[in-house]
Amino acid sequence: MAQVDVLDRLVSTVSAQVRWRRAEHYGLRGAFYGALVAAAVLFFKAALGGVAIVVAAVVLVAAALAGGLAGFARRVPPAEAARLADRAFELQDRVATALEWAKREDRTPLVEALVTDATTRVEHLAPKQIVRRVLPREARALPLPLAAAVFFALAPPVPLPIPHLPDFSAAREDDPTPERAGTPMVQDTMRPLPKDPLKRPSFEERDFTARPGSPGAATTGDLSAIFKDTALAHQRPDFNSFLKKGDERLKMLEQLDRLPDLQSDFTSSQYKMVFRKSKALTGGLRPDQISPQKLRELLDEMERLGRKGGNWSPDAAEGMEALEGGNQDKALEAMEKALNKMRAQEEAQRSGKNLRGGREGDRAGSRSRGSEGGGPEDQDFGEGEGLLPGKGKSPSPKGEASRRLQASPYDASVEGDSRRGRKESYDTNMTGRGGKMPSRLQYLGVIGQYRKMMEDAITRESVPRDYHGQIRDYFQALDER
Amino acid sequence: MTQESRVQEFVRAFEGLRSEVEKVIVGHREIINHVLVGMFAGGHVLLEGVPGLGKTLLVKTLAEGLDLSFSRIQFTPDLMPADIIGTNIIVEDADGRKHFQFQPGPIFAHVLLADEINRATPKTQSALLEGMQESSVTVAGTSRPLPAPFFVLATQNPIEMEGTYPLPEAQLDRFLLKLRVRYPALEELNAIIDRTTQSRTVTVQQVMTGPAVLTFRELVREVPIASHVRDFASSIVMATHPQWDGAPEVSRRFVRYGASPRGAQALVLGAKVRALADGRYNVSVDDLRALAAPALRHRIILNFEGEAEGVDVDSLIAQIVESAAGAVTQTRETFLR
Repeated sequence: MAQVDVLDRLVSTVSAQVRWRRAEHYGLRGAFYGALVAAAVLFFKAALGGVAIVVAAVVLVAAALAGGLAGFARRVPPAEAARLADRAFELQDRVATALEWAKREDRTPLVEALVTDATTRVEHLAPKQIVRRVLPREARALPLPLAAAVFFALAPPVPLPIPHLPDFSAAREDDPTPERAGTPMVQDTMRPLPKDPLKRPSFEERDFTARPGSPGAATTGDLSAIFKDTALAHQRPDFNSFLKKGDERLKMLEQLDRLPDLQSDFTSSQYKMVFRKSKALTGGLRPDQISPQKLRELLDEMERLGRKGGNWSPDAAEGMEALEGGNQDKALEAMEKALNKMRAQEEAQRSGKNLRGGREGDRAGSRSRGSEGGGPEDQDFGEGEGLLPGKGKSPSPKGEASRRLQASPYDASVEGDSRRGRKESYDTNMTGRGGKMPSRLQYLGVIGQYRKMMEDAITRESVPRDYHGQIRDYFQALDER
Repeated sequence: MTQESRVQEFVRAFEGLRSEVEKVIVGHREIINHVLVGMFAGGHVLLEGVPGLGKTLLVKTLAEGLDLSFSRIQFTPDLMPADIIGTNIIVEDADGRKHFQFQPGPIFAHVLLADEINRATPKTQSALLEGMQESSVTVAGTSRPLPAPFFVLATQNPIEMEGTYPLPEAQLDRFLLKLRVRYPALEELNAIIDRTTQSRTVTVQQVMTGPAVLTFRELVREVPIASHVRDFASSIVMATHPQWDGAPEVSRRFVRYGASPRGAQALVLGAKVRALADGRYNVSVDDLRALAAPALRHRIILNFEGEAEGVDVDSLIAQIVESAAGAVTQTRETFLR
């Protein structure tokens, strides 16, 4: 069928266009990857020498050519080319339909007219490039590896990295420790020093403070002599544990609430300042080893502070008299009493944070009345003790409250009724004298602390997550009461 | 007669009949084209639109342009199937003996106008089923063929209007095309006023006979279609099915039932007629695009979400066609890769 030949020629033309476009497409992709390899080759030109530039150029050209050839060699189905021609020349699928139906056995009479029509239209077509250029993504990025390759080609050789990194891990006990200096092995593996190394002071020039009692000869000489008689003498530095501890410190710094408030704790409090001095004075020493001069200065300062507004001035004065009389033990005892009074007064001033709360004044009053009305509950806390919930210690002669709970309801002021449930528990009711007693704690002053302790407890302890909400609701209800 | 002359004769007949209809009907060019496509493809056409848009007039005018018998049935709620098909009645012969005689109903015509078909009950609507599919009706156990060509043109009001019965899906599927008659534009409305409020009467000439219609129907089936164009038609129909793996998101989301194989047949047959009317000897992808909505809109059943969101079936089909076309044109993009 001669008429179909015209259509076949059109399809061949389109196929050739497709092949060339494919060659461009895949050639650019090949060039991109070739440029990457060429850049890598030129990066290591220090090792390859002058051959590197030639190798890079060959790789680049070969990759581009290989890509182009691969694209050109790919088969173009004639039906696809015919459809492409139909769309490009707006032939409304005439060519594809004619080519397909001309070869079929069951073609209808209209096929003949279709082929004639399609051929006539194709013969009047002006030849043009109908396959548009499709640039791969790699083509847009191609300048980057090319520029890198040119840069590496023009730049001086890049020094190769050292293949071995120093071993920072802790040395094992059984590791043989090589000699640090003076052995041939060290000299063989030693890195060449830079031309102008940073000048470090020699060991002899360093300023080592001589330790009392240690022989001066040990501080001079080589570094290993310092640790010669210690357990560190045969160990290598453990940088991993050093880093780990550093991490732990950094984590600790992130928890602001756990950091001590140095400002308020040690500078704003007279008591703590004096307490710190007394600790520094008496720490680890027997009374006969304490410097009388410094003890006198401390007592003098305490007496001076007491005159400004405190009740420990007589104790401090008594201590000074005892010191002058040569009785250093008594002086220390007086200083302790004065310190206790200072602490009690300071805690009394922090009423907002003090668990003893708003009835402190009443109790102080009753305490001042001596033995008139002081009940046993007033003796539960010593001065300055038991101030925080759960942290204080009870010096009560009756013993722990939990034991007293089951001893006598009247004494304990709490009665427990056994109740069955998921766990055996007690319902407690205030009875007896305890039920009529006024609260010793300022409710709103301590509920916040209890809530904070609750939050700490449920995060610290293994409390089931499902119960967290209930526990929080309970404390929330306490707060709203 | 050469093939080219056969096609040219079809083109002339198509345009002649359209010209006669356009003497009466103002605008609605696409509707008229699709009605003729349905007729030459051998199918039936459902016209949907609110009252007063000229649906009935269009069908009557088309029937006047054809040298064919024409009957009209006004569907009402009390219309019975026998009123359409016909029934046996007792007649008395000259000897005084009585016997049953079949009295054919209005369905026995070449062109049947089923006006406001959705105002009849489903039972009566289904009386048309056999005639539309088999071109024959069965009365009292006797099958009687309908005249050829048999062409049903039904009109219906939108189902949202009161007093209407939605057509059963089975009957909807019998219609080759469903056309939506829309309001005329301003210029068209002015022309309608001028044409219908003056004393001048328009006479429609008969330009086509029944045998000619049958001949053209045979010609339509000879039009070749390329495999990739046929694949495109199949892809469109399959994409209306939400269960199909290649279905687009809109189908999965809004469609309950997709088009049947009759939909694919309607799509391809309609595309063949359109190609011939355009003077072409083959079906193109553009023919399928143009016929997709009329051939498929009554074959797609929306799900609850689609109904609730008021999804327009035509826009849904447009998206489905684009998704199917994407698969075809994607070949061009991937050609170089």
